[in-house]
Amino acid sequence: MAETRYIKAVNQALKDAMRDDPTVFLIGEDIGAAGGSFKATRDLLDLYGPERVYDAPIAEAAITGIAVGAALTGMKPVAEIMFMDFITLSMDMLVNQAAKARSMFGGQGSVPMVLRTPHGGGLNAGPQHSQCLEAWLAHVPGLKVVVPSNPADAYSLLRAAIDDPDPVIVVENKALYAMKGEMPDTPERIEIGKARIARPGRDATVVAYGAAVGMAEAAAEVMAAEGVEVEVIDLRSVQPWDEACVLESLSRTHNLVVVHEAVEAFGVGAEIAARMADIGFDELDGPIVRVGAPFAPSPFGKTLEEAYRPNADRIVAALRRTLA
Amino acid sequence: MSDLVMPKFGLTMTEGLLTEWHVAPGAAFRAGDMLFTVETEKVANEIEAEADGTLAEILVQAGDTVPVGTPVARLAGGVAAPPPMAAAPAETASGKDTLDSPAARKLMAEHGLAREAVDATGRDGRVMKEDVLRLIATPLARRLAEAGGVDLSRVEGSGPRGRIKARDVEAAAQAVPAPPPAPSPALPEVTEIVPDATRRATAARVSAAKRDIPHFYLTHEADMVALARLRAELNAEGHGQKISVTHMLIRALGLALEEMPQMNRIWAGDRILAFGRADIGMVAETPDGLRIPVVRDAGGTSLDAVAAQAGALAERARTGRLTPADVGDGVISISNVGMFGVSSLTPIINPPNAMILGVGAERSLFRPDADGAPALRRELTLTLACDHRIIDGADAARFLSAVVALLETPLRLLRPARKPA
Repeated sequence: MAETRYIKAVNQALKDAMRDDPTVFLIGEDIGAAGGSFKATRDLLDLYGPERVYDAPIAEAAITGIAVGAALTGMKPVAEIMFMDFITLSMDMLVNQAAKARSMFGGQGSVPMVLRTPHGGGLNAGPQHSQCLEAWLAHVPGLKVVVPSNPADAYSLLRAAIDDPDPVIVVENKALYAMKGEMPDTPERIEIGKARIARPGRDATVVAYGAAVGMAEAAAEVMAAEGVEVEVIDLRSVQPWDEACVLESLSRTHNLVVVHEAVEAFGVGAEIAARMADIGFDELDGPIVRVGAPFAPSPFGKTLEEAYRPNADRIVAALRRTLA
Repeated sequence: MSDLVMPKFGLTMTEGLLTEWHVAPGAAFRAGDMLFTVETEKVANEIEAEADGTLAEILVQAGDTVPVGTPVARLAGGVAAPPPMAAAPAETASGKDTLDSPAARKLMAEHGLAREAVDATGRDGRVMKEDVLRLIATPLARRLAEAGGVDLSRVEGSGPRGRIKARDVEAAAQAVPAPPPAPSPALPEVTEIVPDATRRATAARVSAAKRDIPHFYLTHEADMVALARLRAELNAEGHGQKISVTHMLIRALGLALEEMPQMNRIWAGDRILAFGRADIGMVAETPDGLRIPVVRDAGGTSLDAVAAQAGALAERARTGRLTPADVGDGVISISNVGMFGVSSLTPIINPPNAMILGVGAERSLFRPDADGAPALRRELTLTLACDHRIIDGADAARFLSAVVALLETPLRLLRPARKPA
């Protein structure tokens, strides 16, 4: 067991995957010589050479298109989109090609690609470099979306994504890149679609993913001081998401809050709330409350952005509402 | 035949003053015609006919104040205008429907519910508001209630807007099991009486007064020897209204208020109302319960005029013929229970008054004189209840002392008020 940082765990996962499988290659802007804008690919060009670590021009559609094509021909590309905001340019390749190939070829082909991209605010990067757009991708049948909340999961989920025979979007959180955490000597093998109980509790369930998991744990700590035991579920994967785990938890706690950094309206939380209001109806002893960003572009300014991003206080307020 | 009743405007209305009839007995009217005008504390309301009809008989004359729900007229052929209150006298020919609570009828109409589809739980099969209201309970609470055989309609919800939560059902389920104890044979016989509208109105008013007004009380004895002598002399002249102790008390309060205008004020929630005239209420028993007719300008007029006014008011109160102009306003009322031999009374302020004076019976007793020898005196115990929101203790004490000083030097009751310094 050694302490590592989130970004180093990503780097380690890429390094190990490239070591274990020669078909794995990387493509993205500034990932080679520069080692990646956030240093996720540091040293990999030196280790594996320019044939497996491609520096691409500023052309997200082309990067994604190359990855889809290479994957269709048996390679395992890992593309990096420097900011999730620019996934807009990758959408045709992802939505109309990568997501559809398996079905359109009658199961005789697949697109075993990974697209890594960071979302989230907290860096005062403004409205075009802070967005959380995972709900768009989770809405498309054929795409998988994982969102690791800590260094160990960043490693294991990226390895699972690379091993997966279908296209997986790995959404990292910029604000978590410097996060420290324990890395097991033998990393856990995570099955995409399985959630993790980050903190057990009996009075209310908070479902979160990515950076929101830490906020939920902080909120649970506040409530614990008042004798309210909050269970925190780290979804790990939002598509597919672990419906059974959430339902099982709700059946014990009877109160549900769903948290994400993304804009609340039409988000992942809406899907979870709707499903639980349906299959979990008789378990509910309070309204299902969502916590997300307001329906507005992410602001540049530090104080405004702090007000915009969800935090533990807002999760505590949501818990008090459902428990009232 | 159906009845037209005194309608209820707003939650706090308990009685209404019927100020004017717009239709004569025997006259026909059409839907939309003005039938009568009702004045409440706040507004005058015109009552419209809901359907065509004929006014058969007027039961409540213009100028009378009656409790909400009291029939004010009989109609021939028409439909009564405003719906009666739930507990209004139920003489209507149209039967069951009008017995349902008005809130329940409104809800049924709003939601298009057939009366037959609602389980009535009220007395005599009345549909009550709770019978129509949707029960608010969480899904889990409903499931637990069903599993545990708990009747949700009997469970009080602790959640937002009274929502019933699982914890409420669990608490109710725990409360249920105890079987009712065997009735004790020695239980005294108890009869349940439904209070009439007047009693309920009084109950509501005094409850609100005692709850909302921070009362404090001061007691002072007044020596009545000089006052009794003056009263005997005045009455021996034997012309005009006989002067009673109450009249002299009213006059004393009037003078004291003139001389201490800072006491002639009431608390009106968000502001203070200062009066330029000393009006004194006197609590009177009437056929309709307690009423408080008011003697106007007791400070600025003569003792004879006070006595004349008070005598006329008492007569009208006794015969139940008080007019709206006879009541209302003033900062203080006087409640005299001396005639029952009671030594003192600690009364409840009658809103919007700021004070009330409780008066006990005159008693003969010995007090030590200047030399310590017993001296026979006649004393009256005065208890002043004050609203602490507007009156502080020292002011109240000065006021009560001033009243006592006036009573003990009663010639001052015959003089005009001294102008305040």
